[in-house]
Amino acid sequence: MKQLTDLVTPFATIAADKQLAGDDLAWLKKLRLQALDQFNRAGLPAKKQEDWKYTSLWALSQQDFIHQANPSDISAAQCDQVALLQDSYRVVIIDGVYSAEHSQLTGLQTGLTISPLSSGLDQVQSYIGQQVDIEKAGLNALNTLLMNEGVVITVDSDTQVLTPIEILVINTGSTNNLAIHLRNIIVLADHSQLTVIEHYIGLAESTSFTNVVSEVVLKENAELNHYKLQQESSNATHIATLAAKQAANSLWRSSNISLGAKLARNDVHTQLLGEQAHVVMDGLYLADSEQHVDFHTRIDHAVPNTSSEELFKGVLNDNSHAVFNGKVIVHKHAQKTDANQQNHNLLLSRGCEIDSKPEMEIYADDVKCAHGSTVGQINEDQLFFLRARGLDEASARNLLTHAFAVDVLDRIPAEQIRNAFSKVIEQHLPHGGS
Amino acid sequence: MVIYMAEQQQIDEVLASDYQAGFVTDIESDSLPPGLSEDTVRDISRIKGEPEFLLEWRLQAYRHWLTLETPEWAHVHYPEIDFQKISYYSAPKAKTDGPKSLDEVDPELLRTYEKLGVPLDERARLAGVAVDAVFDSVSVANTFQDKLAEDGIIFMPFSKAVHEHPELIKKYLGSVVSYKDNFYAALNSAVFSDGSFVYIPKGTRCPMELSTYFRINAANTGQFERTLIIADDDAYVSYLEGCTAPMRDENQLHAAVVELVAHDRAEIKYSTVQNWYPGDKNGVGGIFNFVTKRALCRGVSSKVSWTQVETGSAITWKYPSVILQGDNSVGEFYSVAVTNNMQQADTGTKMIHLGKNTSSTVIAKGISAGRSQNAYRGLIRIGPNAENARNYTECDSLLMGDQCGAHTFPYIEVKNPTAQVEHEASTSKISEDQLFYCKQRGLDTEDAVSMIVNGFCKQVMRQLPMEFAVEAQNLLGLSLEGSVG
Repeated sequence: MKQLTDLVTPFATIAADKQLAGDDLAWLKKLRLQALDQFNRAGLPAKKQEDWKYTSLWALSQQDFIHQANPSDISAAQCDQVALLQDSYRVVIIDGVYSAEHSQLTGLQTGLTISPLSSGLDQVQSYIGQQVDIEKAGLNALNTLLMNEGVVITVDSDTQVLTPIEILVINTGSTNNLAIHLRNIIVLADHSQLTVIEHYIGLAESTSFTNVVSEVVLKENAELNHYKLQQESSNATHIATLAAKQAANSLWRSSNISLGAKLARNDVHTQLLGEQAHVVMDGLYLADSEQHVDFHTRIDHAVPNTSSEELFKGVLNDNSHAVFNGKVIVHKHAQKTDANQQNHNLLLSRGCEIDSKPEMEIYADDVKCAHGSTVGQINEDQLFFLRARGLDEASARNLLTHAFAVDVLDRIPAEQIRNAFSKVIEQHLPHGGS
Repeated sequence: MVIYMAEQQQIDEVLASDYQAGFVTDIESDSLPPGLSEDTVRDISRIKGEPEFLLEWRLQAYRHWLTLETPEWAHVHYPEIDFQKISYYSAPKAKTDGPKSLDEVDPELLRTYEKLGVPLDERARLAGVAVDAVFDSVSVANTFQDKLAEDGIIFMPFSKAVHEHPELIKKYLGSVVSYKDNFYAALNSAVFSDGSFVYIPKGTRCPMELSTYFRINAANTGQFERTLIIADDDAYVSYLEGCTAPMRDENQLHAAVVELVAHDRAEIKYSTVQNWYPGDKNGVGGIFNFVTKRALCRGVSSKVSWTQVETGSAITWKYPSVILQGDNSVGEFYSVAVTNNMQQADTGTKMIHLGKNTSSTVIAKGISAGRSQNAYRGLIRIGPNAENARNYTECDSLLMGDQCGAHTFPYIEVKNPTAQVEHEASTSKISEDQLFYCKQRGLDTEDAVSMIVNGFCKQVMRQLPMEFAVEAQNLLGLSLEGSVG
């Protein structure tokens, strides 16, 4: 057992034992050494850093973690039960280890490849580490250093994949203090189309740490519907970076739903590098008890004629604390940028806290940029309206809360996925009658 | 295209026009040599004949300042300031113990004010404005003292108030902006030279707009103003502050501190028109304006309203704030910030809600042209006990030219579930359609732009007192007319 702040030793040992994925690849070894160097220099981010002003990793840094899980297994029925979708391709990772047994990868469409990181690394040399900056955040460096599993998905040009792919990451809780470091790589070639769901779920109340980096590459005219559902256990720490690079005419629809974990931090970042590239970046966070959830988003409009729409909503209960920091950067010469960013928060009880920071940095003049942020509570008039029609107060409140939350799902085109999410959200929200 | 070229030329001419308030008044000054040490602080205190408690406070501030580092979080860039190269005290040479009437005031000084349009002499009476004019660092003239004194209103230079009302100074100085607050506040606390002191007694409505003109005149002299305004229960005061500065090649530091205290049901309205020298079009020279302004709504139902029109300075770093401590207190912030050429502005407000049923409104308009950078930075904080707090924030930016930048950094921190906070911001350029519409009706581009910009800023401009609104509009016109083709 080693503390995160003292990772030099485990890396050396793990590397020596050849337990890390792709350890025989020279380029990867080099990258890992760079990351080690960077992590040794920077360590974990501290609160004095602007990006971590409201989120403390102090507790995490004081915990001891195990980097190798005990063998554990779950039944196929259990797996089906926790999965979001039933008729989809499925990649299952249990306690940080790829499970071929539970994955459903039969009958893959031509032009589509799905492989676990451990066996797909050689395909992705030119993409790995390109979307994330290991120099900047200590956790990306840590991930690069220790990534051991994940999913590599590639779609060939002119391939439309209609069946969604669910990446199901299950933490069984059989190993307490387990730390897993995943790296997902998704590459869509020209004129291709894909739907991916990243689904993280904890089955028991054990302490755990998930550090995941997903890198997305969208070539010209590619379209990716990319959803994420985070339902880790209430003692988990979930830290995720989701970074994309988009070429001309590409479309990235990202919806990020954060329900679980004691501490969840998500960095979502895209760079619009080709004209007419468009991003829809949505998110929903529901937090209660002592949960802490933090979303940092960044959209770089690097060239003219790109557009972005961003909507993040939050519902906070009990003593939970949420952070939203959205950055829209319009670079020089990125004329005709159209950017809209919204963050709305509903506070339901005394003790919760929201820190919202919608930022814009604009270096071009012919642009249309707007953002809005609100913090409020359930509208008394709406409540009165429902009560006048016979609903008890709790049911009326729940109905309004649910309506507020599911709004974020409106921009998910596939009805099947929208409904699945809506159901999960409904189950998660407090129920009436009490 | 031909028309466009002609317009472009017109624009260039306007943009190239020189700073019109740039002239140096030749008056002998008593200055301390450049440099900062405990001795400097003691010297300033000695020259001003200050009581022991104030010297002690200055020294504490100085010692604290030594432990601080220059803040770097703002979205501005400038060469490091050498604080040892600045002279920390400069006073117009005293002929006697100070002028007792306008006749005794240096005529050169009066002419300067005349050029700036300060209603100091007869015009002052007609305009009904009392001016506590700060010329560099020592206040040289006060008008309407007697009339204000009748109502028990104290309006005098800070250094005079230190002698005549030490109990008030002792009680309120640093009570809103502690010397520990930030780097420049600490520096100001250590070396501040003079400023204005206003006390409005209980139940008194100040019968006129109080106004002060700050100018930086002696070369290389940093201006460290300290303003303290106290409105006691049920009092009302409207205070105007306007600045213009003569042209100069070296950067000058201006680090002022303004403290406002509003007691029960009191209201303070503080308006600023800031037109310090912005530097030339390549960013050479210009004032560094690093100001700490803060108000404390201490009493119930008190109200503080900041209005500012910021057109000058090479760098503006300024966040007039309100601490809403008393229940039902109200804070307002109306701002127009214009940057052109190489100017940089990082300005906004902080509204700290502590009391119940407090509300705040923030309207910020940023206009950037040339190669300037204009940022809004604001904080809305709702404390855990601030029941039913309400905030509305609107910040809009207008961009003129593809070399400038407009940025928004709002912080919203809410710890109470009964709070209602709304923030919205937009950024756009002057609409081609609006321009076309105006031009089609016979306005030339300049007038059309001016009209659109004035419309854009109207929400803020109408908060200004009459006398200021005119000047502010002139300034806007001067800085911006025709910046878009």
